[in-house]
Formats: sequence, C-alpha cells, structure tokens
Amino acid sequence: MVEGFLIAKESAVLLVPIATIILGLVIGWLCQRSGFCSIGGIRDFILFRQTRLLKGYIALIISAFVFYLIFSFIVPAAIPKFLWCMQDGQLLTAIGGAPAVSAAGVIVLMIVGGIFVGLIGTLLGGCPLRQLVMTSEGNLKSLVFVIGMLAGAVIFTALVSPWIIEAFTAIGL
Amino acid sequence: MVANSSDEKKGLDSYLKMPLVGGAVIGFAAALIQALLFAAGGPQAYGFCVACHSRDLINYVYNSLTGSNLFLAPFSANPVAAGTLPVLTIIGVLVGAVAAAVLYKEFRVKKGDAKSYVVYGIGGILFMIFALCMGACPYRLALRIGYGDLVAVFGLIAIIVGIYIGIKIALKRMED
Repeated sequence: MVEGFLIAKESAVLLVPIATIILGLVIGWLCQRSGFCSIGGIRDFILFRQTRLLKGYIALIISAFVFYLIFSFIVPAAIPKFLWCMQDGQLLTAIGGAPAVSAAGVIVLMIVGGIFVGLIGTLLGGCPLRQLVMTSEGNLKSLVFVIGMLAGAVIFTALVSPWIIEAFTAIGL
Repeated sequence: MVANSSDEKKGLDSYLKMPLVGGAVIGFAAALIQALLFAAGGPQAYGFCVACHSRDLINYVYNSLTGSNLFLAPFSANPVAAGTLPVLTIIGVLVGAVAAAVLYKEFRVKKGDAKSYVVYGIGGILFMIFALCMGACPYRLALRIGYGDLVAVFGLIAIIVGIYIGIKIALKRMED
C-alpha cells in the first residue's frame, strides 16, 4: 500500500505529454498491425458473426477493469471512487460529466451521442482510432475525417456545449 | 527490414496482429497512466480517449493561436498551466501507425473524389460533436465501463443501436 500518489503533482504535470506520446506510439503501432476497431468489431459481429475485432474491444473493457482494480489496491489515491456506481449510494452518475447537467441529462446525451457515433462510424468505415490509423496508412479520406474531427472539437467546445447546458437547464434536465 | 527478418520477430508480429492483444494493452496502459499521473489532474478513466485527447490538443493549439480560453480537461489544463504541453496521444498514434505502416510496407496513398472528401469532412465534424456529447469515444467508454460507470453502459447500447441502423442503411443502399 502506498499512501498518496506515486508521483507528486509537480513531476506528474511534466510527465503527462511524455507518457501520453509514448502510449500513443504503442497504440498506433498495435492498431496498425491488428486493424483494431471498436465499431468495426461490433459491425463485423452483427453482419458476419465474426469475433476477431470484437474480442479486442471486450479485452479492452476486461483489461481496464482488472488493472484499475489491481492499481486501486496499490495506489488507492490515484484510482478514486473505483467501481463508480457503488459510491455515494447513487448508481447513475457519470464520470467527468458536466456539473451543470444531471444524471438524466447525461444519459440522454449518451443515448443521442452514441446512436450517431455508431451510425457515422459504420457508414464511414471506422471508429476514430481506425480513422487515425488509416490516415497514417495514407488514406486521404480518413485524413479529411480527422481534420473534420479537430474542427468538430473546437465547434463543440465553443458553441455546442454551452448551448446544450443552456437548453438542458431550460427544460430542467 | 523487419518484415523479412528472423522468425522470432515474425512470431512477435503475429501476436501483435491480434486485436485481443491491442485491447488488453490499451486497458493496461490507460490504468497505468492513471495510477502514475493522477496527481496531474482528473477526470478518472482518462488514460486513453481519441475524442477527448484530440479535443485537449486542438483546443490548446487554438487557445495559443487566438488567446481564447477553450476548455481542457484538468489532466491537460494543469500541465499547460505549468508551462508544459497537453496530452499528445493523438500525435503518438499517428507517428506510431506511420512507422508500422512504412516498416511493413503497408503505406499507400489512397485518394478519394471531391464528394467523398466533403462527406468525410462533415462526417468527422458531426462524429466529434456527438462523441463529445457522450464525453467519450468508444475507447474511453470502455475505460469508463471498466471503472464501473453504469451510465457509460447506456452509451455502449446506443452505439450498438447506431451501428445496427448504419448496417441497415448500408445494406439498403447496396440493394438500390
């Protein structure tokens, strides 16, 4: 058991860009080799009952659970509120949800967002990670998709997100 | 080149080609990053996310260029406030995948027509807006489910419904 954090805040903030770029390199390499795709996995299973890619996504959920569990014993301070739904007696509150939006509002956003994420991902041939990897393989259509994603992020933060909070507050969600 | 070197490396590559390994590694690495660096800022289950990490990166660039103050997650905002950089996962993924594609001779420029560029561009914008509505791409969604966030399960079910609708539309288009 370790009390507190393994790395203090002053050092941790310096390590964020380094750690994430290394993580990205590893994931980029693995996903180029395996064709890893979450949406593609579910699509292949529904269409062809193929489980190759789906296994990857299921492995991700299980591996995340197992390692969060293990690390929650080693460094409890860094894995706060693990098993989120068991905290505070409230089953349905979201991690990192906008504070102005209630749990019901987050669920509405999840459902609307999820349907369109699945739909667009299926029609355009891949989840965002697959699009990044296809860009790296020289696919110019995916490159345009990634540029669109970046533009979409700015549009969301600057315009859509305040609008959603305003609209949800107005209807009391 | 690696592609036609020793059998041992071919053996390793055949493991790396399994999506199962990729998924397990992403889950482990995301948990490890949180275990090591949670002091830098939250939220939880933020180790790997294509949508959120792209958002942090592009908003950082936008903020530096225009002097505006768009939102970054604390995990990126605190490093930026301390004078370093936000999460660079996306750059890592692009570089790592280019390296693998070039090394295994799978890099080929594929062009589309003008109409497909418009469709993909608009698709990318809408995709990101809806993904950020969820506060997750499918990957962070998986991390959140692993973290025990039941709300994320609604997101996964919605994605499956969306994929089902997408398949129906695609099949119908092929019939016409």
